[in-house]
Amino acid sequence: MLDSVIFLLASTLAAATPLLFAAVGEAVVEKTGVLNLSIEGMMAIGAATGFVVATLSGSYVQGFAMAAIASALLSAVFAGLVLTFLANQVAAGLAIGILGLGLSVLIGKEFEGTTIIPLQDLDLGTLSELPFIGPVLFSHDVMVYVGMATVIVCWWVLSHTRLGLIIRAVGESPSAAATIGYPVLLIRLLAIVFGGAMAGLGGAYLTLAYTPLWAEGLVAGRGWIVVALVVFGMWRPLRIAIGAYLFGAVSLLELFIQGQGYAIPSQLMSAMPYIITITVLAVISRNPRLIRLNHPASLGQTYNKSA
Amino acid sequence: MLLSFLTFYFPIQQSLEEVMKTWIKSARTIAWSLATALTIGTAPAQAQDVFKIGYIYPSPAGDVGWAHELDRGRLAIEEKFGDKVESVVVENIPEGPDAARIMNQMAAQGVDMMMLGSFGYMNDGLKTAKRYSDIDFIHASGYKLLDNLGNFQTRNYEAAYVAGMGAGFVTETNTIGMVAAYAIPEVVGLINAFTLGAQATNADISVKVVWLNSWFDPSKAQESARSLMAQQSDVIFSIYQDTPSVVSVAEEEGVYVVNTSSDMKQYASNQLLVSLQISWADYFIEQVQASMDDTFVGSAFWGGMADNAVSMASWSDDLSAEQRATLDSTVARISSGEFHPFQGPVIDQAGDEKIAEGDTLADGDLLAISWLVKGVETQLPK
Repeated sequence: MLDSVIFLLASTLAAATPLLFAAVGEAVVEKTGVLNLSIEGMMAIGAATGFVVATLSGSYVQGFAMAAIASALLSAVFAGLVLTFLANQVAAGLAIGILGLGLSVLIGKEFEGTTIIPLQDLDLGTLSELPFIGPVLFSHDVMVYVGMATVIVCWWVLSHTRLGLIIRAVGESPSAAATIGYPVLLIRLLAIVFGGAMAGLGGAYLTLAYTPLWAEGLVAGRGWIVVALVVFGMWRPLRIAIGAYLFGAVSLLELFIQGQGYAIPSQLMSAMPYIITITVLAVISRNPRLIRLNHPASLGQTYNKSA
Repeated sequence: MLLSFLTFYFPIQQSLEEVMKTWIKSARTIAWSLATALTIGTAPAQAQDVFKIGYIYPSPAGDVGWAHELDRGRLAIEEKFGDKVESVVVENIPEGPDAARIMNQMAAQGVDMMMLGSFGYMNDGLKTAKRYSDIDFIHASGYKLLDNLGNFQTRNYEAAYVAGMGAGFVTETNTIGMVAAYAIPEVVGLINAFTLGAQATNADISVKVVWLNSWFDPSKAQESARSLMAQQSDVIFSIYQDTPSVVSVAEEEGVYVVNTSSDMKQYASNQLLVSLQISWADYFIEQVQASMDDTFVGSAFWGGMADNAVSMASWSDDLSAEQRATLDSTVARISSGEFHPFQGPVIDQAGDEKIAEGDTLADGDLLAISWLVKGVETQLPK
């Protein structure tokens, strides 16, 4: 029984990591008032690029780096559409997302169905050998910890620094921010590119560590979970992280309970991660004033500099 | 649902649904026109007497999996008939309107025969076959027939039974874990056959199944396999997973694994117990020959070991010579028709006798099987 608990908790951290990267990146983007719905496509690009680069070069560092760059480039295209040409953010995001899915197939074409040695777990010496805590917390690959660190850094930057204030100001009222001299479009561009790079890292984590293989459609809807996590996590990195870990835990628990042979309909079990995560996040964020405070006021609206 | 979610949460000025629908539609149309133009358009022009065959696969042919096996069938045809045949292959076609368009386009290109590689092409295939009575069609795993439309399936349960026997030999925990997509009869039949086989060599077998409720999610499949291993399964049966997701995790964790469709030895050189290999070569060649001779009549082919459509590939070296002999003789007895994997008495989970002593399960019942045998711990999703 203890073995099973350890297995569930330990796997949760890995299962949540791709969501964590992408969701925190998206939270920053949305905090500047831009809604980027192309996460699914950007994760796919990151997954394919990371896999191909790591396979060819043998270097995980290069794999993750190129994945981040490739997704950042795609998100720059999105930025061009919505910031320069003032395209509708939803439509542009969906179009870029579909484009990303298509490009990922093209990038990974020669590697369809191939596998790779997964990113190895860190050896933290005695820490990894601690009973219970060792296998749960201290026996993971480095990206799991990088993911946690990213959440904390983003939380700190958004809520405790001047940069965070600027980002939030741009999202609340771009015209006011522009009036007092902030380069709204540049800040939005940087946020979008950052969000893209994070989604790329999340995607690459899928193919290089979590499921060490490339197959078309591997992201399997996780990009949409990310979008929902950001909304239900109230654009706050720490709550988003709770949501991601919860989602990871319940989706593993589902498989585990099925294996135990309880007579619960498996269709219901498959819906559980979504139901529980959304319910919990909705409950902890149910204060309407909090929603108004956190919801970036200009989210989804195009900003025309000359207007 | 997504649309209403978005319109609810995000203040967007325009008629959002309209914009999105138009974008998606035009993006798809452009993508598919390009795809068809590239794949079909580049086929070289050829003399009139060449027999032209169109192939439509639901996924990329890849190194392993369903479409790969269909493609091996195509290669067998090309090897057999050489210059007399010409192939037009379109891969990765989603079931639906796109498939219908590709079929019509192929017909317009003058193909003599069409191979439709997925169940979901059935209704479009039926329409196309009615419209073009001079083209012969063979369709994977469907159940509708016309004079010029036949269908084909494999009796994978035969191989699953033998693989189950092997699993019964090697398991130490007496627990087998299975990763399955949906509880359709085809999958349920495989689970039952594998379990019966395992029970034939090891009376104490218990079986745990995880239903993915998804046709394609390699990460979830892999996580399921890990979760089954954490629950003492030391043989994993990976059912209709087109990627090596489950197989590679078994290799990593040092647990035996059995997979379907293709030989996956290359992904689990130590831990692959056996692969259930399907092969369309004989059937495809026969049908093409019939179509060339104008003797083609659409019929339902359900090929098993006797037809060389199903076989055991890459048995693990860990099995003893004695055990191998038992397995090989079972294969021989199934091929000769002497033995049927669903031979009574068979008891279901509830304890009811489903197949009486001395009886075997009729094909019709097997095609609609909706109960699990005793020994499977997981219930069918209702």
